Amino acid sequence: MGKIRKQHVWMGWMLLLGIFLLTGCETEHRFVKSTAFKGTHQIVLTFAGPVEEAWAKNLDHYAVYEKPDPDILLGLAGVSLSQDRTTVTLTFRDALNQEQPHLIRLKEILSDGKSQGGALLTVKKAYLGYLVSVLLGAMIIKNFVFTKYLGLCVFFGTSQKKSTAVGMGVTFTLVMVASAMMSWFMYQFVLKPLRLDFLQIVVFIGLVSLSVQAVDTILRKVNPALFKAFGVYLVLVIANCIILAVPLILANNEYNALESLMLAVGAGTGFLIALFLMSSVRERLETANVPPTYRGLPIAFITAGLFALAFMGFSGMSLF
Amino acid sequence: MKSALIALAVLGCIGLLFGIGLALAAQKFAVKANPKVEEVLEVLAGAQ
Repeated sequence: MGKIRKQHVWMGWMLLLGIFLLTGCETEHRFVKSTAFKGTHQIVLTFAGPVEEAWAKNLDHYAVYEKPDPDILLGLAGVSLSQDRTTVTLTFRDALNQEQPHLIRLKEILSDGKSQGGALLTVKKAYLGYLVSVLLGAMIIKNFVFTKYLGLCVFFGTSQKKSTAVGMGVTFTLVMVASAMMSWFMYQFVLKPLRLDFLQIVVFIGLVSLSVQAVDTILRKVNPALFKAFGVYLVLVIANCIILAVPLILANNEYNALESLMLAVGAGTGFLIALFLMSSVRERLETANVPPTYRGLPIAFITAGLFALAFMGFSGMSLF
Repeated sequence: MKSALIALAVLGCIGLLFGIGLALAAQKFAVKANPKVEEVLEVLAGAQ
């Protein structure tokens, strides 16, 4: 009996999680079937039914911009309509930056003399690839430690031994995912609808300390062995700036639930990688013959600088 | 004025909610600490 009830509780949680993830996905207009980039200069819109030729050919009916800059409209060079009048191809004067999601505002769609209302559409690269690029971007290409120089105090403090470094990295990733998802939820469903965005830093700091405290309390009871291993680092996580930077980034870029999750996981594992690399080098430095002036932190700073130089090799790389 | 009041109310509610949540969690996941540990620590010099 108890077992069945436990399963029900689990299913309930999964359902909740599913709903939570679904709300993060954007809903498109009911009359527009799909949007996609084509080549470097084109965007293809597919409609559910035939649209009026006069409507489709008018360039004034389209306003296209990159999601972060709604003020800068992209210059349209031409519009073409397919034979069956369901596919519109927009051609632009300049090449599109496909890294950014683009928004298209359509003025009142006319189809067979009937109005289908206006529409605001999003064009993105293939979604799975986009998610992976967010993940790898946060993890390696835009590594928070080596390219944004965030979270350095904890980075230098816990990278003396490999075991400490890995412990800190794993704890950090766990807390990061929990707090980032909570922050995303709070931002999208509480702060933004009430126009309280200016309070985001205050709320995010509160959420970070909340999740640290919650993990501390729960882990202490549920898994004392794990708590002994991670407990020391939990307090340090609060003092880390990456954990505050991630909620701010995902609030600024209007990420949805899945993208936020990827960013959080990427930032966490990126920090883990950075800590592990650094601790491997510092363990060797212990036995190396370092000039007395440079012993300890100075040589660690130099090492971190060399790592940052190496990570510059990834900069500007685009995947998918 | 009105927006300030809304902000105060919302933040207050969030804080209260989380506080209650944490308190409940602390109660549910309470760990019994051995009282002797504290007694022994009190008797010791405790310079560190």
